[in-house]
Amino acid sequence: MIKKRSKISAEFNTASMSDINFLLLIFFLVSTMFAVEKGLPMALPGQQSKSVKLKKENVLTLQAFANGSIVARGTGPLALHEVQRFIQNKLIQNPKLVIVIETHPDADYGLMIDLLDELRLADAEYISLRTMKTGS
Amino acid sequence: MKIVKKQGVQSTIPTGSMADIIFLLLIFFMVTTIFKMEEGLPIRLPRAESGSELDRERLINIWADRYNRISINDKLIHVDNIQAVITSRFEENPQLVVAFNVDHRTRYSLVSDIMDQLKEANAVNVTFVSMGEEGS
Repeated sequence: MIKKRSKISAEFNTASMSDINFLLLIFFLVSTMFAVEKGLPMALPGQQSKSVKLKKENVLTLQAFANGSIVARGTGPLALHEVQRFIQNKLIQNPKLVIVIETHPDADYGLMIDLLDELRLADAEYISLRTMKTGS
Repeated sequence: MKIVKKQGVQSTIPTGSMADIIFLLLIFFMVTTIFKMEEGLPIRLPRAESGSELDRERLINIWADRYNRISINDKLIHVDNIQAVITSRFEENPQLVVAFNVDHRTRYSLVSDIMDQLKEANAVNVTFVSMGEEGS
């Protein structure tokens, strides 16, 4: 018996392979998101800086507790998403307001950053960091 | 009258192997490139919306994780020694900014202790490194 030769070519077309590769490359280049690291700048009080006496009505203290709750001194507890609106209102009443973030030593660092972020979003200019005194 | 001879030299460059050459170059540069990586500690940065761009030329990175380990320049360090390290770095370049790469679950007291050391060393410009909202 004579075997029939198959007429179908067993090779496939590799000429467009590089095009496909380039398309894939460009797709992943565009769709890759790099983790963007950003900074929240602060100026700490140094040794040379003098302490300035502030009037009581120009100071607003936000306290961050170890259980994650936030309390505005004199007003009461606040939810994190309320902070920005609250601070904006306070700043309209008194643009010279200094906001003190008083964090409990056992609180998470992330909570302090959340508060600092909200204050920066509310365009607060004078922010001060303080650690809560415990055992008093 | 002269008869113009047809030139037998082909005027096309074979481009079939171009993709191979490009791949070889790609692999060569991938293998020979050395990234300068400062690893620090494995941490999860806090998220913040209001972050601004970091000026990487002027940064000293301090890493702190939730197990209260602190690392500067890839060396684990005790809190009390931060002042000495930072002071010597500031003698070389007083324009430096100290970047806090701190895990968001770290207790605030550690951050507070680091800040006290920085105040002693007169390193007053700090920035809290955070993850932008798009970062993964």
